[in-house]
Amino acid sequence: MEELQRLSSHLENRLSDLAAARGNGTRIVGYTPGGYLPEELVLAAGAVPVCMIQAGERTAVESSEPYICRWIDPFCRAQIGLATSGRDPYYSALDLLVVPITDNHIRAIADVVDYNTDLEVFPFGVPHMKEPSTFQYYLHGLVRLKERIEALTGTKITDEGLKESIRLCNRERELFRTLSTLRQSPGEAISGSSFIALNHASSVSDKRFMVQLLESVAHTVMSQPRRQDNAPRILLTGSTLAMGDTLPNLIEDSGGAVVIEEFAEGIRPYWQDVSLEGDPLHALAEAYFMDRVAPAWFRPGTERQNFLIRLARGWHVDGVIWYQLLFRESYKTESYYFPDRLQRQTGRSMLVVESDYDQSEAGQMKTRIETFLHIITGGTD
Amino acid sequence: MAFYDRLLELCGFEGDDIEQQRPRMEQVFTTIHIGPDDMPRVEERVRRQHDLSLTGVRRLLRAWLLELADLVLARDEGKRIVYYGYPSIQGPGMAIKAALGEHSYVGCPDVVLCHSVGLIFDALTPILETAENRGLPAGHGLCSLQQVRNGALARGIIPVPDLVVGSSYYCDMGSKADELLHEIYGHPAVYIDGSMDSRWGEFPGYDPERITLMGTQLGKLFSTVEDVLGVRVTRDCMRETMATNRALFSGLGRLTFQMMADPVPISAVVSGMALNLAAASTGRFMREGPETLEILCSEVQERVDAGVGIVEKGAPRVLNFAVSFSDPEITHMMERAGLALAASFVTVPPAKRDPSLSFETLGEELAEAAMRSGAYHSTYGFAKRFAQAARALQMDGVIWGYQYNCRPQALGSHLFKQVIEEEAGVPTLSLEMDIYESRSYSAEALKTRVEAFAEMLRARKVLNQGGR
Ligand code: SF4
Ligand code: SF4
Repeated sequence: MEELQRLSSHLENRLSDLAAARGNGTRIVGYTPGGYLPEELVLAAGAVPVCMIQAGERTAVESSEPYICRWIDPFCRAQIGLATSGRDPYYSALDLLVVPITDNHIRAIADVVDYNTDLEVFPFGVPHMKEPSTFQYYLHGLVRLKERIEALTGTKITDEGLKESIRLCNRERELFRTLSTLRQSPGEAISGSSFIALNHASSVSDKRFMVQLLESVAHTVMSQPRRQDNAPRILLTGSTLAMGDTLPNLIEDSGGAVVIEEFAEGIRPYWQDVSLEGDPLHALAEAYFMDRVAPAWFRPGTERQNFLIRLARGWHVDGVIWYQLLFRESYKTESYYFPDRLQRQTGRSMLVVESDYDQSEAGQMKTRIETFLHIITGGTD
Repeated sequence: MAFYDRLLELCGFEGDDIEQQRPRMEQVFTTIHIGPDDMPRVEERVRRQHDLSLTGVRRLLRAWLLELADLVLARDEGKRIVYYGYPSIQGPGMAIKAALGEHSYVGCPDVVLCHSVGLIFDALTPILETAENRGLPAGHGLCSLQQVRNGALARGIIPVPDLVVGSSYYCDMGSKADELLHEIYGHPAVYIDGSMDSRWGEFPGYDPERITLMGTQLGKLFSTVEDVLGVRVTRDCMRETMATNRALFSGLGRLTFQMMADPVPISAVVSGMALNLAAASTGRFMREGPETLEILCSEVQERVDAGVGIVEKGAPRVLNFAVSFSDPEITHMMERAGLALAASFVTVPPAKRDPSLSFETLGEELAEAAMRSGAYHSTYGFAKRFAQAARALQMDGVIWGYQYNCRPQALGSHLFKQVIEEEAGVPTLSLEMDIYESRSYSAEALKTRVEAFAEMLRARKVLNQGGR
């Protein structure tokens, strides 16, 4: 796809573009993934949002060792390693790191980075239940964040400005929805790894560039014939899918097709639009907190489990691969009883693969995936 | 005479007492699978690990055994059962107990099992292994306290409760583990949610919205209790409980103060057993607590007056975060290394409430107290309170023995040491531990690091004294 080439050259230049923008006084606002930071707030202040989504290799995890014990999930340890190294170009480009506090692994990033670096950290809370009081709390966090961004940029965030950025981000979400919906029917419209690459890219690239690129991708995908194949259709889910994770490629190399993904971190939520009616901040909180399918650290995790069942049915998957990062307890606990439910309600099986971002895992992981794909397509052992 | 009579005697039961409790104890021993063959080992363990020359110590062991019986037999005895999480903010559990009255069991079942099945009988392993096959596998850093709860339910050791209260404002694991149990047993669960999102350095300040949220969440707990159990938890309930418990808390305060004597008069195993009884039990703590503490404190005072202690006078004095719930050997190892475990997190109470503050609900009142405690405020708040305590008490060292599989603690694995050393200038040992079960973190495994730390503190003391 020609668009992917354009994207990779945009990404290659992204750091120098950010540096240039910063040189001209534009503020760069980093944030941890999880889908709870409305980028609209950053965009409406004329700043650039950048999601800290890179991880997957061991060195960054190892760099975190002087700052935190090993019992924190490797993605979060990797962020600590990158931020404290002083050498990571993305962290070095930031004026502010916003950390929506979702669970204690993410809270570790906020605390350790704040104490050990000069980077300003702005934590704000994401409660774990959808109730009026928790909604108000999240909304209050957005109000605080808006004030901080205004102070950082010296720009007042107006309702009109906010609505304009909501429109832009809604368009991006709509395009991701279009692409995902195309993947419901048989035959490959766009490969899982390409979709994931686009979704990942959207968390670091220029928003207008990304929307244009996605429009072009959607056009290309809709106008070209689908590749027909019999690859087993996979729903890939888990806590975190980082930019740098090799699992999607591993599944494809093993003969599977990732047709839909559901991740708390690393796949931008795109199923809900933000309303343009009424108070825009309230609308952002409604969409990002109440409407968005909640990750497993919500109590209970039923909403997401129901959503996974709907995805499994709607995308006609042959099996589910659950990508578990070591020590992320909310996902680990659910991975015990969810397979039963999945089996009962869809007749599909689930494979749990775990990672501590250790390169030596790949071999065994591939074997397990191959065996799983073999079994779900009617093999016997 | 039954096979367990001698053990009960060691644990402070007397004549009639044993006869009265016999039918209950029979059932308890059957349920936890402790039989005649286990007795020599258990009796030897109790003699070795506890200072049975103190009546107060025997009474404490008795209180924990009775609490175990109350827990194990709660369903058979027709009680209404509420489990809450540990650690949890002080108050809601006691208020619920006050509202439900005598015919109820309200407590932290896992903490009770650690202090009885673990600490007394050393028989947690089968429970843990059961949990490892019931959704909380080994090797994944999943909370061992939750494993104890999970395994004990699966083995039918503790009854399925009428309501579970999850401390969702603190950790993710407790609520998820309760969710898992709800999937299996179907009992109702209520989560008190919150968000520890205060900025680094913000303590003791906080955003008032945190009080509003937690206050509302505690209000939700009380209305769930009313819906599920049909009783109202009011401010008056709480006040009444607090008033009746004043004697208890002053007893605990006195014991805490006595631990500061030089030489330190008793092992921290004892003060740990007393403090945790207050945190995990709303029944035996209230019933057995006052007399037990009275006896213990006067015995300890005699030692203090006579200058008798368990480590030598002048030994390095350490603020120790927590003692093992189930394995006294770990605490004894620290003491054998020559450390006076003189203080713990509770030695220095939190600051008093600002009198200008007033709150509309009981929930908000409790939420505000939780903020002042530091632990539920933020990592910074918790570490800061440690640093302040270490300085105020002029400690020679701090042992930050964090629970490795408890994320709110593990995320501060290095930060606590950094903050305490920087702000209080007190050497701190960051010690990875499992205070709930010690299969991988035994006294033997931790010994080298503790001894090296003790050695360093002694050398530092000599140097400082030389300098004066
Ligand atoms: S309208 Fe908004 S603020 Fe009001 S109850 Fe619903 S979610 Fe809460
Ligand atoms: S993880 Fe920590 S806070 Fe949570 S239940 Fe276990 S010990 Fe308690």
